[in-house]
Order: sequence, then structure tokens, then C-alpha cells
Amino acid sequence: MYALELNNVCKSFGQVHAVEGLSVKVPVGSIYGFLGPNGAGKTTTLRMVVNILRPDSGSITLFENGTEKQTRNHVGYMPEERGLYRKMTVRKTLTYFASLKGVPANEISRNVSQWLERIELGKWADKKVEDLSRGMHQKLQFAVTVINAPSLVILDEPFAGLDPLNYEMMKNIILEMRDAGKTILFSTHIMHEAETLCDSILLINKGKNILDGRLSDIRSRNHSDSVLVELDGDAGILGTLPMAAGVRPRQNQMEITLKQGGDPQELLAALAGKVRIRRFEIKTHSLHEIFIQLVGADNA
Amino acid sequence: MRNILVIARCEFIEMLKTKTFVISTLFAPLIMGGIMYFSSKLVTQPPGARAPFIVGVTDLSGGLAGDIEGRFAEYSKKNSDRQILFRAIENANDPNAAQKQGKADLRAGGINAYAVIDKDIISGAGKMSLYTYKTKPSDMDIFQTAENMMTGAAVEQRCNAKNISSSLLREIRYVPTEHVEIGESANQQRVQKQAEMITRMMVPFFFMFMIYMGIMVIGQQILSSVIEEKSSRIIEILLSAVSPFELMAGKILGLTGIGLAVMALWTATAYGTARWQGLAVDISGMMFFYLVVYYILGFVFFGALLAGIGAVCNTLKESQSLMTPAVMICIVPMISWFNLVQSPNGLFARVLSFIPPITPLVMMLRLSAASNIPIVEIVVSIVLMAVSVLVAVWVAAKVFRAGILMYGKRPSFREIFRWLRQS
Repeated sequence: MYALELNNVCKSFGQVHAVEGLSVKVPVGSIYGFLGPNGAGKTTTLRMVVNILRPDSGSITLFENGTEKQTRNHVGYMPEERGLYRKMTVRKTLTYFASLKGVPANEISRNVSQWLERIELGKWADKKVEDLSRGMHQKLQFAVTVINAPSLVILDEPFAGLDPLNYEMMKNIILEMRDAGKTILFSTHIMHEAETLCDSILLINKGKNILDGRLSDIRSRNHSDSVLVELDGDAGILGTLPMAAGVRPRQNQMEITLKQGGDPQELLAALAGKVRIRRFEIKTHSLHEIFIQLVGADNA
Repeated sequence: MRNILVIARCEFIEMLKTKTFVISTLFAPLIMGGIMYFSSKLVTQPPGARAPFIVGVTDLSGGLAGDIEGRFAEYSKKNSDRQILFRAIENANDPNAAQKQGKADLRAGGINAYAVIDKDIISGAGKMSLYTYKTKPSDMDIFQTAENMMTGAAVEQRCNAKNISSSLLREIRYVPTEHVEIGESANQQRVQKQAEMITRMMVPFFFMFMIYMGIMVIGQQILSSVIEEKSSRIIEILLSAVSPFELMAGKILGLTGIGLAVMALWTATAYGTARWQGLAVDISGMMFFYLVVYYILGFVFFGALLAGIGAVCNTLKESQSLMTPAVMICIVPMISWFNLVQSPNGLFARVLSFIPPITPLVMMLRLSAASNIPIVEIVVSIVLMAVSVLVAVWVAAKVFRAGILMYGKRPSFREIFRWLRQS
């Protein structure tokens, strides 16, 4: 079951191809990261998903079917550029968007109070939006996005400008929502955020899909060809091993680069009993490294 | 439809809360009424004694000066706050020297006006020459009074010379008049005051002005609210929840409501003031019906236009140049209202009635100026305006949808036409 499916979606602005033949499937109940450098087409894609822009070709399906109206009330969208009515009070802002997003009238007041508590803005409820600090503004914006408990939450760079405390708060809310069966789709260019939160990711560059899938699968596919070993005994043995292409000391450990097809398990077996191993780590690429590697190659 | 109402309600309430709105709509009638009330009060009260108006007189006829002096004295006794003083400027040997002296005094400011009365003014066709020097606007009125008294003296003396009773002449010249407005039934009639005739003249202007103010003042609010949403990027959140058409329709609906409320308030104030001042203003119920119909049509037209303009601009400043043509065309009936009221069925009035954006303004003016506007013209003007409203809303919705997410450079007219063709 997919919350969102993009099939060969294209969008151009004049001569600029913002999105070119993008196909994605976002599973229900997952946290999905949209990664890519600035100008990759992330925001354009999200805007097409929420029907602010229309694709030139291709199809976008939400919840496997459903009318435009139905889907609107089940999607919460927080744009990258934040903005709210400056003269409106915090409570009125939440109330207004709740009623626009189809929250039944008799539930609005309770929803609004709950969210005000959750984002710790209860004391600010009757202050104007223009009196809020940047961080508070962002939390309010987030609450506006999810006030109608949407099934699919789309967040464009949600963590930009948050301090560590608010970052944790927002992260926890997102995780709670995932556990409650909601689907969260967010874009970021900060790989660390994606790494700690996402179940699946899509890496997009110049409007094209470079890499997508479950984060764990991507990690295991992209393990590196080297092993870090910390041992007591003669390190000279490392150079004699048939599967080792090179050995390099790194601080108090050795980094062994394996030959093509070399298996780290064989290396471990070969070392066992000969030296005393204190630490053995198969190096994996961080998302950051994968990103730089793939995007760098794509832009070269 | 639900979303349209939610947006309309929000626009309505938020607008009510703004300071500019409170000041411009609630205080405007108060201020206007206050100015009218106090200016009439203050004018009728003596503003305190002012410097007397001195008229130098060289009477070559020799028979008029005494009479003029008497009249001036009598006037001054009654009007102590502003007297008219007589000053003879004579030179029995050399009349030319007297005149030279009089003009010099006038230039020097010793006298405010100078009169030279010809020798044969009583017996023949002699004239009275009145000299002024840099007359102040505030002296115009009293100068006229002095002139009337001097010519009055000449008439009196001419009557005496020809042996005609001057009081008889006055009696003959005096024809009392009375303006009576009759009503529908035989015994319904009422003497009109001067002010009522002026009020009658102003009613058409008032109706047109209502529509003009409603469209321009409230219309501006659509523009600024669209631009605020666009520049603060609230628009993206809104558009993820509602369609561009719903957003635009909601705004127009909410502000139409505000406009109607303001018009009701102003009309009630104006009517109440007129009644309070004892002026009878009879306006038929149909007029209010027309006012509402034409106002709604005019406002939706301009609302859609302004929403479209707002969508393609990034700042209020940028929108000014696009606003100008829209405002200019509305000024046409404003500046020619007097002519339109004078001939509400003339060619000019009829042609203007069918130019869509100004139809409501012109039709309100004509309908309140005359009761014989052909019903066909009324119907055609409403239908034509309604069709234009549909076209305007259609165009604006397209422009709104395409323009609202465009930041940076304002699109050219050619680009806007391309959007319309594409959709």
C-alpha cells in the first residue's frame, strides 16, 4: 500500500527542466526522505504532490485513488518558505487553518488546545504571530500543517533553523505520527537528519532519481571495500593476507582495503587465532558520503 | 463552497479589526458630519469685529455722495462686525487730481475700493467706475454689498429726478416665489427649503460616490491581502488546502459583505443627518435595490481585477502602475457627474452606461437623477455587467492560478495572454 506514487513525472519552467521523468513510491506508515542538493527539484516535486503546480506529464496518485478534494483534506503541507498572517493571533491562526482543512467545527477548539500544549505555545495563544520568535513561528507552522491529523504529512526542509530542543520535539512528534500509521515525506539536504529519521529515501539530482529504497538496503548495498582492525600483536601479518590490497595505519588502528571480491568474513577468519583482535569494523559509507559520491559523479 | 465561506468569514472579520478600516469607515461619516455641522454653526455666528471696508468716493455728479454715505452708515449700524465706511475724495478745482489721489490711496491701502461717479449719472447715461487693487477673496462679498448700495442710491436719485416713486418701483420689481413639491396624492404638498434643492442635487452624487468608495477603498484591501499572502508565502499553505478559485472567491465574497455593511452604515448616517437637519429626502426603495445590485456587480468585477493584479505583483508599489488604468476609468463619471445629472438620458450618459467597469457608477447616477430611465437600458446594463463579471472572474482565476506562485519579475502582458490561451 502506497501513500503516494509518482509515475514518470516531468515539469519544466521555460527552458529549465526542474523534474524529469521522476517515479517514486512512498509506502504508507513510513518516514520518507527526499534528498538532493539545492535546486535538485525537491520543492517542485512536493508542490506538484500537493497540487499547487501541475505536472507537464506523468501521473501523481495519492492513497492509490481519491478525489482532489478528499486528498486535500488528508495531506498536510509545510512549505520551505514559512509564512503566516502576522497580525493574527496564534490561536486564531490554528483555528482558521483547522476549519479550512475540514476539521469538524465541534473538534476545532479541542484540537487547537491540544496542539498549543504539544508545541509549548499555550502561553502565547493570544499573542500575535508577529510577536513570536523564529523557533516558535516554525513550531506554529508545523502545528498548522498537522492540525487536521493528515494521513500524509509533507514537510519541506522542516528542521531548518531549529535549536536542538525544538529539533528533538519535532523529531519526536514525527516519530509518534509514524507509529500512529501516518506517512511523513520530508525534504532535506542535511544527510544527518535523513539518516537518523528516515525509513526510506530518494536521492534526486537535476530533477532525476539517482537512488531510492529502504535506508538499510542502501547502506548494505553501499558498504565500502575496507575494514578497520585494532589488534594486539604483529601488525605485519596484515600485509601478507591474500585478500588485502593495501594496509594503512590510522591512528591506533589499521585500515585494510580489500581486493575486488574480497570478503571481510574471510579476513576475520584469517586473522583469528594469529593475533588478538580488539576491534573489527566493516566500514559502511555514511549517507553523506554516498550523496557526495553519487551527486558528484552525476555533476561531473 | 464551504471553504469559500470560511475564507469569506475570515476576510470579513479580519478586515473589521484593522485600524484603517475602523478609522476610514466609522469615523469618516462622523468627521464629515462634524465638519458640516460646525462649519454651518461657525459661519452664522459673528466671527468678531473685522477691519471696516472703506470705500473712497469721488462724486462728480454732486448728488449721490450724501445718499451713499447714509446707506453705508445705516448698514454699518446693523453690521457692527464688519462696517462699510464712506470717505469722500473731493477736489472742487481739479477733478483729475481727486481721481489721482483716490487711486493713490487705494494703492497705499488707505481705502479698500474707490468709486468715481460720472457727472450725468442721474440725468443721463453716466457710469460708475469702481476701482480695486489686489482684492482679497474675503472682501469680494462686502465689495458686492457696497456696489449694490451705491447703484441703489443711483436708482433712487434717478426715480426722484423723473418723479417716480422709488417705493412703488420696488413694489413692482418684487415678485414673491415659493418652491412647492407635490406628492402622489392631491393634498400632499410641501414647501421646499433652499437646502432641500441642493440635497436633491447631491443625492445622485452620493449614490455614485458610495459605489466608487466601496469599490476603491474595499477593493484595495483585496489587492493588499493577496500581495501579503503572496509575499509572506502563506499562499502555499492556503493552496495546499483550497483551490485558487475558492481562495479568490472567498476574498471577494468576504469583502463584498464588508462593502455592503459600510454602505448601509454610511447611507443610514447620511439619511439620518438629513432628517435631523429637517431636510426631507425621498428615495424610493427601488434605488436601494439598484444600489445593492450594481454595487455587487461592480465590486466583484473590480475585486476579480484587483485579485488578478495582486497575483502578478510582488509588492504594493509594483501594483500601482497596473492599478492606474482601472482607477482612471472610474474617474470619468466622477468628473462629469454634473453633466450626467443634467441630462441623464443624453447620448454621453447612455454610452457610458454600457462601458462595463463604470456601468454601476453611471447607472446609479442616472437612476437617482431621473425617474424615466428606460427599463430596457437598466436590464441591458445589468446583463452586460453580469457577463463582464463572469469574464473578469474567469480571466482573473486563470491569472491568479498562474501568477500567484511566480516570484521575481512581474510577467508581461504577453505572458499573461499566453497563460490565458494555454488554459
